[in-house]
Amino acid sequence: MKNMSKQEHDIFNTRERFIASANKGKILANRCLKCEHIMLETVYYCEKCHNDKFDVIEFEGIGRVITYTIQTVAPQGFENSGSYAWVVFKIDNAPFRTSGFLNGIISPKDLPIGARVKVSGFDPKHGLLLEKLL
Amino acid sequence: MTKKVCILGAGSTKYGKLNENIIEIALNASKDAIDSAGITPKDIQAGYISNVFGASDKQVHMAPVVMSNLGIPYVPGLTIESACGSGSVMFREAYANIAAGFYDCVLALGVEKITHVGTIQSTTLFSYCSDFFYEGGNGASFPGLFASIARSYMSTYKTNEEDLAYVAVKNHENGMLNPKAHVRKRISIDDVLRSPVVASPLKLYDCCPFSDGASAVILCSEEFAKTKNSNSYIEVIGSGRGASPAAVQSREDITTIPSTTAAAKEAYKMAGITPKDIDFAEVHDCFTIAEIIDIEDLGFFQKGTAAQAIRGGATRRNGEIPINPSGGLKSKGHPIGATGVGQIVEVFEQFTGSAGERTIKDAEIALTHNFGATGASAAVHIFKKVK
Repeated sequence: MKNMSKQEHDIFNTRERFIASANKGKILANRCLKCEHIMLETVYYCEKCHNDKFDVIEFEGIGRVITYTIQTVAPQGFENSGSYAWVVFKIDNAPFRTSGFLNGIISPKDLPIGARVKVSGFDPKHGLLLEKLL
Repeated sequence: MTKKVCILGAGSTKYGKLNENIIEIALNASKDAIDSAGITPKDIQAGYISNVFGASDKQVHMAPVVMSNLGIPYVPGLTIESACGSGSVMFREAYANIAAGFYDCVLALGVEKITHVGTIQSTTLFSYCSDFFYEGGNGASFPGLFASIARSYMSTYKTNEEDLAYVAVKNHENGMLNPKAHVRKRISIDDVLRSPVVASPLKLYDCCPFSDGASAVILCSEEFAKTKNSNSYIEVIGSGRGASPAAVQSREDITTIPSTTAAAKEAYKMAGITPKDIDFAEVHDCFTIAEIIDIEDLGFFQKGTAAQAIRGGATRRNGEIPINPSGGLKSKGHPIGATGVGQIVEVFEQFTGSAGERTIKDAEIALTHNFGATGASAAVHIFKKVK
């Protein structure tokens, strides 16, 4: 977990910052300056105390699978992706979960709950990209 | 002091693949409701309309178009969108306006036309109802989102795909008795388990169909209902709204839907009753797993026990708490903006002697539950038969 530089912080809007961070394999979060609650960086007010002043911090985009699905009938933009999973995962050392796109998952045997995954980037067509950690 | 609110009339088109234009579908259900109420359009002081994907049939800002074609162009209308929960959320606004005394008689209409765009486009449009940055944009469809909820539930409560299948079989059995149901087909547990996988662990028969259709009700004050000298009205005795984090990832417990529990708590409190007092319920079974979670969140069963109760027949028409006698979204169909209103039409028909073979014997209090997306928004209503 580390603070984002002011220069990085000022360049983008919230979602652009989140994407820039994902492209470095990280997940961006806000830490409330009043109550220290940590939440995803895309939330504008603290979920606990409703303060709007934060430290922006980055977590390593590594975590544990909470649940997932393997999409057979895919929405537009994903039809040619082959077999893939949409995965909810808990970020290590962070009090929140996020979700992403994990290609190459064919059967539930490929991805037991609790499996380790990491963020490998952000694709404009497929969103937050994940890789399975062995 | 709020006014007592009644439903004086109700109507519905058939659900399924319809050839008419979306406005014609809306008008057909509206006319049925107006005729059923024994009123004329001049009695209607406002129109509330729920719709989600009107743009796909080249019509948004639907309320004034509907009101104009009902011959009451100077009566104000409002169009409301809350994904699959639009119908019940819209009904709540109509209810609140009667209860507050702003109007004595209003039309509440839900309508959708979606089948003409095809499965892939429908799947895509539905995904826009998710928290798209985290869900649809990362490849999750709605079956996929509920599949992830199902996997979490099955892992937590040691249930399996066969447990889910029992919901589908029961709702299709009920739908066989509903002449307006989209999918009138009896199915077996094997049929469900052998149907193609849509998003693992959910299969085709775990999923409701995309449907066209419209449903409408006429809400009015008790005083207005009495002036119509009608014995065929029912009373709204509870109304609750709830919300959940929009994204599944942000919920502390993925096996429950906070908006349902909050809306139910509010509605039970207002009605002064408990879940034990409910004689039957129409719940949001967009996917089989949803019905299992709904009936726990509504307080009919303890957490983690609904699947076993369903297997034992507790939710069949002659069971301890009949669930979805209409066939539910699974069999009756899911015309998105109309679905929540369609549930209320079912209650009206049950309580006014027009539900035919699917009538729940001696029922006097019923509950409807309808949510948007994966339960980000929800409304629960409770109704009483007027003797």
